[in-house]
Amino acid sequence: MFSVGFRALFRRELLRFIRRPKNTFMPPAITNVLYFAVFGVILGGRIDEPVAGIGYILFLIPGLIVLGTISNAFENASFSIFHGRWNEYIHETLTSPLSYAEMVVAYVGASAVRGLIVGAIIAVIGRLFVPISIEHGLFLVATMVVIAALFAGLGIIGGLIARDFDDLTVMNQFILRPLVFFGAVFYSLTMLDPIWQYVSLLNPMVYMVDSVRYGLLGYSDLLEVAPAAYAELAPYASLGVLTALTGVVIALDVYLFKIGYGLTD
Amino acid sequence: MPPAIETVDLVKEYGDLRALQELSLTVEKGEFFGLLGPNGAGKTTFINTLVGLVRKTGGEARVFGHDVEGDYQQARDAIGVAPQEFNVDRFFPIREVLEHKAGYHGIPADEAAERADEVLKRVGIYDKRNERFDWLSGGMKRRLLLARALVTDPDLLILDEPTAGVDVQLRHDLWELVTELNEEGTTILLTTHYIEEAERLCDRVAIMNEGRKVTVATPDELKTRGTDTISVQLESTPAVAPDLKAYAHETSVSGDHLEVRVDDGGSIAPRLLNDLEAMGYEITDLEISRTSLEEIFVDLTRSEDRTVTRSSATADDGESDHDLEREQEGVA
Repeated sequence: MFSVGFRALFRRELLRFIRRPKNTFMPPAITNVLYFAVFGVILGGRIDEPVAGIGYILFLIPGLIVLGTISNAFENASFSIFHGRWNEYIHETLTSPLSYAEMVVAYVGASAVRGLIVGAIIAVIGRLFVPISIEHGLFLVATMVVIAALFAGLGIIGGLIARDFDDLTVMNQFILRPLVFFGAVFYSLTMLDPIWQYVSLLNPMVYMVDSVRYGLLGYSDLLEVAPAAYAELAPYASLGVLTALTGVVIALDVYLFKIGYGLTD
Repeated sequence: MPPAIETVDLVKEYGDLRALQELSLTVEKGEFFGLLGPNGAGKTTFINTLVGLVRKTGGEARVFGHDVEGDYQQARDAIGVAPQEFNVDRFFPIREVLEHKAGYHGIPADEAAERADEVLKRVGIYDKRNERFDWLSGGMKRRLLLARALVTDPDLLILDEPTAGVDVQLRHDLWELVTELNEEGTTILLTTHYIEEAERLCDRVAIMNEGRKVTVATPDELKTRGTDTISVQLESTPAVAPDLKAYAHETSVSGDHLEVRVDDGGSIAPRLLNDLEAMGYEITDLEISRTSLEEIFVDLTRSEDRTVTRSSATADDGESDHDLEREQEGVA
């Protein structure tokens, strides 16, 4: 099913981050221990009323998993492509007989794997602070795979359009993180005024965080605040739209490779 | 059997700048072909078009009959390229870099490992197999680029100035190795600034200038295109150069020497001696010097029209140690 060439590139991409855990896995692990300790235990302990009927530290876990997963999937793909362009060793791949689709799927797949590993690490850290029982396992896995692949695909685009390393930082710090922080990671949409609830619905991160929260805890903000006609389908509709979007982004990646955008003269 | 390389009216434009101008070139299978030209002639642009790092603007380019864009996978599978730039994966020891490259070309992992060892031994850096690229010396880096090109066992080996800036010993080692590969049947396309290298190694050479093909010939044919200089020592210095326009391109007096530039010095010399004696000059010595290939090269590439500015893209024929200036960023 997968060619020898594809497997070689996929393996190379996996090894690149697996062999450097200090750079790839330790930072999100430490950051999330701090999140859980400060927001969950110290501040969360002072929130007497459960958020959406859930203890605050448990409510935080899905959002932090999403934040870690998509940040790392995006960062891995964008760095891998841009660093390869910067030092021109991406030529090793580009001058090979791999098809453009194989190249893209290898880069996206490996970056998604890094995002999922980080997501799993955050879940394990969360488990150290509070017991978790998974409510909709299959839905959770499907959602995690889709959002990891989506942001890995977006990372490819970021890596192709970046002109220097600062551009990568800007994308991650000034675009991704604000969207996630306003994506109902640290609060429930039900806590907002109706007008802000609707404004929040324009943020795509809301759907990702909500889907993972539904898969993990069985709770969905969208089921509470979305219009009634949509409400029953909310988590599945989100997953469907995200899956379609992921397909579109990966197709765009393949097209950019085909035309050599950012890769060839 | 299709040629190893065949381009027809190949064009590459960067905005108003034309890096390749209707370049038509054929390199036969098994040939050792040289590409000569000054910096900015378009040699690297030509090579990069073949391997997929430059997208052509017009014309056709095929490698063993495979269109470089339409059948890019087949075309690229046949090519091993050792570029000027040190564009090597810095994250892995060099042995793994070679294994990865072989893997991308569909070579299974076990065989890729064997081939990596084999080519590292062949280029003489096997004992450095566990080092990363950045820790190698300049000469070893050049050897690794060659090893990487060879690890996929290519039918067409492209060497873009492989001996630029390397010491004499390494240059001779590389010459020996590529000659051996060519004798084993590998087609070789070599770009170089060293005329001696082309003269010594190549079956045919193409001279390029400003994106155009100036000529294609064997090194011997090229040399016959140059003029010879007959230097005649005379007993008495003439006040003005004698009139030898019947066969001389140029005649000049330098001290007690008369210098006459002609097409074929060997056949003209007896006639020249007779003519000079008939004019009353007493000849004491005569010497014929042939034009070197280097002088012919300079003549052919000395363009009268410099209006075509060299593009930034074709300037990639120049020194390319810019990667040395690039600092490695932290691992994300």
